[in-house]
Amino acid sequence: MYFPASVLTSSLIIIFSLLALPVITSLISAPVKPNWATTHVKPAVKTAFFVSLLPLFLFLNQGMEEVISTWTLMVTMTFDVNISLKFDHYSLIFTPVALYVTWSILEFATWYMHDDPDMSRFFKYLLIFLIAMIVLVTANNLFQLFIGWEGVGIMSFLLIGWWSGRADANTAALQAVVYNRVGDIGLIFAMAWMATTCNSWDMEQIFITVEHFSVTPPALGLIIAAAGKSAQFGLHPWLPSAMEGPTPVSALLHSSTMVVAGIFLLIRMSPLLEKSPLALTLCLCLGALTAMFTACCALTHNDLKKVIAFSTSSQLGLMMVTIGLNQPQLAFLHICMHAFFKAMLFLCSGSIIHSLGGEQDIRKMGAIQRQTPWTSSCFTIGTLALTGMPFLAGFYSKDAIIEAMATSSLNTWALVLTLIATAFTAVYSTRLIYFVVMARPRGLAISPIDEVNPEVINPLKRLAWGSILAGLCITLNVTPLKTPVMSMPPLLKLTALAVTILGLLIALWIIAPPGAHTRTTLFPAPHRFTSMLGFYPTLVHRAAPKLSLLWGQTAADQTVDQNWLEEVGPKATATLNKPFITTTSNIQQGRMKTHLVLFLLSLALVCAMIIF
Amino acid sequence: MASAFLTHHQKVLRLYKKSLRHLESWSDNRHDYRFHACVLRGRFDDNIAEKDMVKATMLLKIGEEEFWTNQHPSPYIFPDSPGGTSYERYECYKVPEWVLEHWHPSEKAVYPDYFSKREQWKKLRLESWDKEITQLQLEAEAGGPKTEALPPARIDGDLPPLWWQIVTRPRAQGA
Repeated sequence: MYFPASVLTSSLIIIFSLLALPVITSLISAPVKPNWATTHVKPAVKTAFFVSLLPLFLFLNQGMEEVISTWTLMVTMTFDVNISLKFDHYSLIFTPVALYVTWSILEFATWYMHDDPDMSRFFKYLLIFLIAMIVLVTANNLFQLFIGWEGVGIMSFLLIGWWSGRADANTAALQAVVYNRVGDIGLIFAMAWMATTCNSWDMEQIFITVEHFSVTPPALGLIIAAAGKSAQFGLHPWLPSAMEGPTPVSALLHSSTMVVAGIFLLIRMSPLLEKSPLALTLCLCLGALTAMFTACCALTHNDLKKVIAFSTSSQLGLMMVTIGLNQPQLAFLHICMHAFFKAMLFLCSGSIIHSLGGEQDIRKMGAIQRQTPWTSSCFTIGTLALTGMPFLAGFYSKDAIIEAMATSSLNTWALVLTLIATAFTAVYSTRLIYFVVMARPRGLAISPIDEVNPEVINPLKRLAWGSILAGLCITLNVTPLKTPVMSMPPLLKLTALAVTILGLLIALWIIAPPGAHTRTTLFPAPHRFTSMLGFYPTLVHRAAPKLSLLWGQTAADQTVDQNWLEEVGPKATATLNKPFITTTSNIQQGRMKTHLVLFLLSLALVCAMIIF
Repeated sequence: MASAFLTHHQKVLRLYKKSLRHLESWSDNRHDYRFHACVLRGRFDDNIAEKDMVKATMLLKIGEEEFWTNQHPSPYIFPDSPGGTSYERYECYKVPEWVLEHWHPSEKAVYPDYFSKREQWKKLRLESWDKEITQLQLEAEAGGPKTEALPPARIDGDLPPLWWQIVTRPRAQGA
């Protein structure tokens, strides 16, 4: 075997072993020690991260394009099922990023969840999730990808509903499962199409075979799958509800890794998508709508975690827009940048919430920069990176996306929506910084603020470094697959920066100085519309179950009761026999003449039978 | 005495309190809130001496309509209140104390002091049970108790009624 290829494969097997070992050893009957998470899990993930750097550096140094390792599981006449690992720059960059972010989150979680009696089980769930995620990103066939896909979905359900005594948490977990399942229908449809048409689930074979077919049906299936997993408009309500879970879960699953699985699927299948203009247009429009709608919702919400969740959904919409622009590598770059600063935002929010005694409402926060300097600084850096502040991580991907969009000749409506979403991103980001970090204190006079713990500060510092340097590191070392447009009018070049500054100015105008009077809100109706999330959950969560109930009742009533019992079954027997019964009863009325006629008729019949 | 119907006084106070809470939800800072809260208090105080119940009820109706129109779509809820972010969060860790009876002897052996003391507490519970019930029966109101409040122990040396339920209740935030 070619030496670098064997190193790549061996490194991944070592990573899987490092992550699986704590899970397997915890299955023995002896109870784990109280500090099992700190002594076993966190070092395992940290080591796995450093191990994952070796294949990455080797890949970059050798200038490799793609390495695939395949083990055959099952061979039939028409179909092969393999364990196939794909090492291209997507999986080799995402794995260290995911492990780095997970390492920081696990270290934070040892502090955040230290008073939870089931902390060990919590860490076990996170490890299983991480294994499923790495299975997903390294999959070279759809079967393996589906295993990882379902794995992350199940762990998401278990982790959102962690505090199972809370009704809202159980509802949110169920919501996540149902919405993801709707998306899974699309993925299963696409897989079925590929199995019947291409006779394979291997991605290379699919890309070659589909040359002769219309790829729109499987592409639409994949888009539905991505819409479910990545919370696009229509299947988006589960993501803000998922904030019911503990903050480390929100930071790992619902910002950095799991929610980008849908976009990752589309990136993997981009050679198939680019053959269908309808699919690309759908991605573009759906992503733009998602980005704008969720940015609007983030403007008026007051729950810190929910605002960050909406911003995640908005950025996922932006990634979908990038897929629609046929720029999968740019979308992947944004996935990596987004992982750093969004995870840091969630960890900062967890630190702030814990410091204020469980308070999540930004109306009860304020002026914490002196009490929690590290958290405030990292929060500010993360928010600025989110807005695309030049030369932070978000700038490298976001600016490139807006430029690509502005210079493409595609849908203007989608471009306008994306620019509005970018402006709104600046608005709610400024709003967050102002109400959480600055302004006057609005919380309790005495709060259990504790930032001295290194388990809180070190993860934030690591992610802050990532948010500052990751953009530069990745863009310097990864050659773009598609040549970006290098010359454009200055106005187009500065579009992203201009709309961001516009958003900042709007935010400063909305945040009225003290002494402003008599104003509940400038725009009551839009405020109510966005506060209620466009009434989308209110309508859909009632309409869908009600329709199911009505159909069920109709099926039970009309089909079973009315049809089988009355039209076909017992009652039908009675109905059919009634005319004969009535006729016979009418005939037999005791008349002698009737009896004589019947007698003669019977006699004639018998004679006829005897004679003939 | 509590009943199924609210008095006019209660309705006005409830309207005032929820108006203040929603005003607080709308306000960005305490200065704004304090100003508007004082204005609201003034509006309520202007009609405090109204004796005509018809007019008072009409004012209350107008107030409720104004509240409905101006209410905040997502009002502030305290974290531990119903609908709050921490409400019932630790319910899954609140295991009832009778589960301790079902522990395996090897598990009980890890905490010998606690379980030996628990045996003494169980004997004490058996001994004091009759006295607790007698006290509750003697102090019970006609028509049944109106609240969940329990009386303290009246006699020196007695334990308060249902002390076991209180002493062995789960912690507020689980183990």
